[in-house]
Amino acid sequence: MKVVKFFLFCFFFFCCSITHSHNPEDFMIAEIERGQMYFENEEIAAEYAAALKRQRIRRLAAMPFYKKFYIFVKAGFEHIIPQGIDHILFVLGLFFSCITFRALLWQVTAFTVAHSITLILAAQGFVQLRGDIVEAIIALSIVWVAIENVLFKETSKWRYSIVFAFGLLHGLGFAALLTQYGLPKDNFISMLLAFNIGVEFGQLAVLLLAFILIKLIMKKNWYSNEIKIPASLIIAAIGLFWFIERII
Amino acid sequence: MSKSPIFTSSFNNPNMKRLILITVLLFIVSCQQKSKMDPNINPFFQEWNTPYEVPPFLDIKDEHYMPAYEQGMKENLEEIDVIVNNPEAPTFANTIEELERTGKLLSKVGRVFSNLASSNTNPKLQELQRELSPMLSAHYDKISLNEGLFNRVDAIWQNRENLDLTKEQTKLLNDTRKGFVRSGALLSENQKERISEINSKISGLSTSFGQNLLAETNGFELILEASDLEGLSDGVIAAAADAASQKMDAAESDEEKDKYKDKYVFTPHRSSMYPFLTESTRRDLREKLYNSYVMRGDNNNDTDNKEIAAQIAKLRAERAQIMGYKTHAHFILDDNMLKTPEEVYDLLYKLWKPAVKRAKVEVADMQAVADSEGHDFKVAAWDWWHYSEKVRKEKYDLDESAIKPYLSLDNVLQGVFNTTNKLWGLNFTEIFDIDLYHPDARIWEVTDKDGSHLGIFIGDYFTRSNKRGGAWMSSFKGQSNLDGRERPIVVNVCNFPAPVGDDPALLSFDNVVTLFHEFGHAMHGTLTDVKYGSMAGTSGPRDFIELPSQLLEHWASEPQVLKSFATHYETGEPIPDELIEKLLNASKFNQGFINTEYLAASLLDMDWHTISADDELKDANKFESESMKKVGLIGEIAPRYRTTYFAHIFSGGYSSGYYSYVHAAVLDSDAFEAFKEAGDVFDPDLSSKLRSSIYSMGSTEEAMDLFVEFRGRKPVIEPLLKVRGLDGSE
Repeated sequence: MKVVKFFLFCFFFFCCSITHSHNPEDFMIAEIERGQMYFENEEIAAEYAAALKRQRIRRLAAMPFYKKFYIFVKAGFEHIIPQGIDHILFVLGLFFSCITFRALLWQVTAFTVAHSITLILAAQGFVQLRGDIVEAIIALSIVWVAIENVLFKETSKWRYSIVFAFGLLHGLGFAALLTQYGLPKDNFISMLLAFNIGVEFGQLAVLLLAFILIKLIMKKNWYSNEIKIPASLIIAAIGLFWFIERII
Repeated sequence: MSKSPIFTSSFNNPNMKRLILITVLLFIVSCQQKSKMDPNINPFFQEWNTPYEVPPFLDIKDEHYMPAYEQGMKENLEEIDVIVNNPEAPTFANTIEELERTGKLLSKVGRVFSNLASSNTNPKLQELQRELSPMLSAHYDKISLNEGLFNRVDAIWQNRENLDLTKEQTKLLNDTRKGFVRSGALLSENQKERISEINSKISGLSTSFGQNLLAETNGFELILEASDLEGLSDGVIAAAADAASQKMDAAESDEEKDKYKDKYVFTPHRSSMYPFLTESTRRDLREKLYNSYVMRGDNNNDTDNKEIAAQIAKLRAERAQIMGYKTHAHFILDDNMLKTPEEVYDLLYKLWKPAVKRAKVEVADMQAVADSEGHDFKVAAWDWWHYSEKVRKEKYDLDESAIKPYLSLDNVLQGVFNTTNKLWGLNFTEIFDIDLYHPDARIWEVTDKDGSHLGIFIGDYFTRSNKRGGAWMSSFKGQSNLDGRERPIVVNVCNFPAPVGDDPALLSFDNVVTLFHEFGHAMHGTLTDVKYGSMAGTSGPRDFIELPSQLLEHWASEPQVLKSFATHYETGEPIPDELIEKLLNASKFNQGFINTEYLAASLLDMDWHTISADDELKDANKFESESMKKVGLIGEIAPRYRTTYFAHIFSGGYSSGYYSYVHAAVLDSDAFEAFKEAGDVFDPDLSSKLRSSIYSMGSTEEAMDLFVEFRGRKPVIEPLLKVRGLDGSE
């Protein structure tokens, strides 16, 4: 390294093209004064994630309202399809349990009202629960609904309350995702609403798709044995797997 | 068909058709927006059709740099050959101007690489940096030692009177020729040989100096038990425990691991030493750590730097003599704003007396505290941080946490933007749809008062583990008017603490001053409006380029300005007057010490570089102590850098240049005084004069001429003495 020679030519060639107002040598001096740099990948990744969130919030703040609203509806939708596979399974669990469209509608409504309540409360910071516990119970709720489908022919009386209770938990799950994603301070409530709308669209889309596929065969008498029970068992198995995975 | 009724029906539905069409269109549009670049070709070998020619950061991968550098150097040499082998007689246009056009690819890759290797680096980039450094220096050697090229430049220069050149062209011609001459173009073969011998000797010695210093700094550690931590705060203890566990992880033998188990480690790195010296109540340990710091390179072992420093100084003197200068300082200063050692000494001596006088008052203040605590010792160098902190609490106490809520990053940015708006009518519009190299980097378009595009400003403010420490300004694109109007892309990089959670980032006042400082450099790089890129923006001499940055700092501490942007992030209340007063008062704390240690190092630098080539090899310690005795340095203060760890001058490029910081401070205080005299810190006439004679000029004229153009006379030191509280008023 020909430091000195290099420095002489700096002024008229190198510095002209790469103007560091603080000289590169400063960095060597800084290293002597501050110590070497360590690269810890986990730390860098965490810093990057936090920076991404800040960037998202900055970009959102600069957008017109309709665009922001659209983005949050989209985010809510994407948190069901494709990212929220556990919520999908829960909703499918409900779907398979219901013989009548009416019963399904009531259950889905109970679920929606419940998760909206906790989503709002948690996003405002009124409710807090450890994420890993919430995630584990969400997995358990899937198992529960699916097992019920296998064991009982008819929807039990207290099923609505249970669905409502599970809805409260799923709301906490959504809230955790939403906080990670970041909510703009100015339009807090309306963006929360938009996110919730997106979640509803996601749920409805799942149900609609399932409905269309199943509609043709639902009336058949083999529906219960060949579709409902095996499907519920598979859902229960997946839920159980997640539950175990999440408590370890 | 009947089996899939949904699909048939939807295709028959006109609404559905429209929806699908729109979706497809949107998809195509979004694909096009994402990438205009061919992913199979190195982005440095493609045109950048990005908005404002911002580098396509997402397309640039680590493996693209080296091939681009190699190709860039090759093209650069070919371009030089074309100029040299031009059969036409040398003219300003076919030689000097053509030279300006060379090295485009090299600069394209070099700017991106040198920026990212500092602000968003990784082990791969660091390795590349080590690999590239000698390659680049060899490359630039080939150009500056190219005789054919020099002959053409010299022929034009000899004939300069008859060429009808503009002022800017004359300066460019002079600078270009001077660059060759200073590389030895006018020397005889024997002399050239000796110079290159000296250069390689110096570079070897410089490298050893740096390596020794690194080894000496890393080599000492103060390993403490839990019972030795008296006075230390939780944060400092945690950092020391962290350092110990890091050492334990790195240790190879169990025995060595035991050495660090449940211990606390402090080192002579400033970041570790200063908190310890400030907080620890164990005087014996303070002395031990402090001495380890000041004795670096002076331990008479394998990594001793005394003789190396003396040899470097002697070789430099010899080289200067061959080049036709009296001493190395004369040689270096010839390129600066202050032209001779006499001018530099004159400046340093003028400042020295008031600084030492103030330092003596500070010693007395500290002694009073120590006495009142019932100690019967004389305050020594290793006591300075501990007792000055007590004086600070008593006299200058400033609760940082009370100030921070008024200084959110967004408010401060608005403040600095408004300042330049009031000075020069600039406007900043943040751009949200350009992806940079890191999501924390933000980008603004800068427009002039008439609305025209002036440049791009990138601000990358938060600290992160893959960013180098400190703060700096750099650029991704230069300014030039040679082939059409090219406007710059400048960047400020800082290391402010990142915000916690969803709260806004809150800065300390020091951070605010740093932000204004770097923004001043950015303005120098943005307002520049010169024809030739090599003279644009911050290309001026080292003792001048800190003027535009340090000058802007003054507006940050101007109460009227501070009040306009420092509003509480929650309540919107402006900062109370009482806080402002405390804040400004606090800036006078410890100035005797700060200035004395700095001036001592500057004088040491000058003394080492005004020795004659014929002098015998100096004994470094004797030389240093004589040099300090001559000016009357007090025992409680050591030079900011002693000879054996003065890397700035023996391993870096600051030889005979360490004074630059204070010289720029003289300039900025005096320049700001002009606004004070006018009674308006946004005086319109002065503002536009400041722009036209300093910020827009780059290095197209001699720095002193630029200053005189603005101020109407040469700089004086009195305003600086006042700013630093050295005028005897404290």
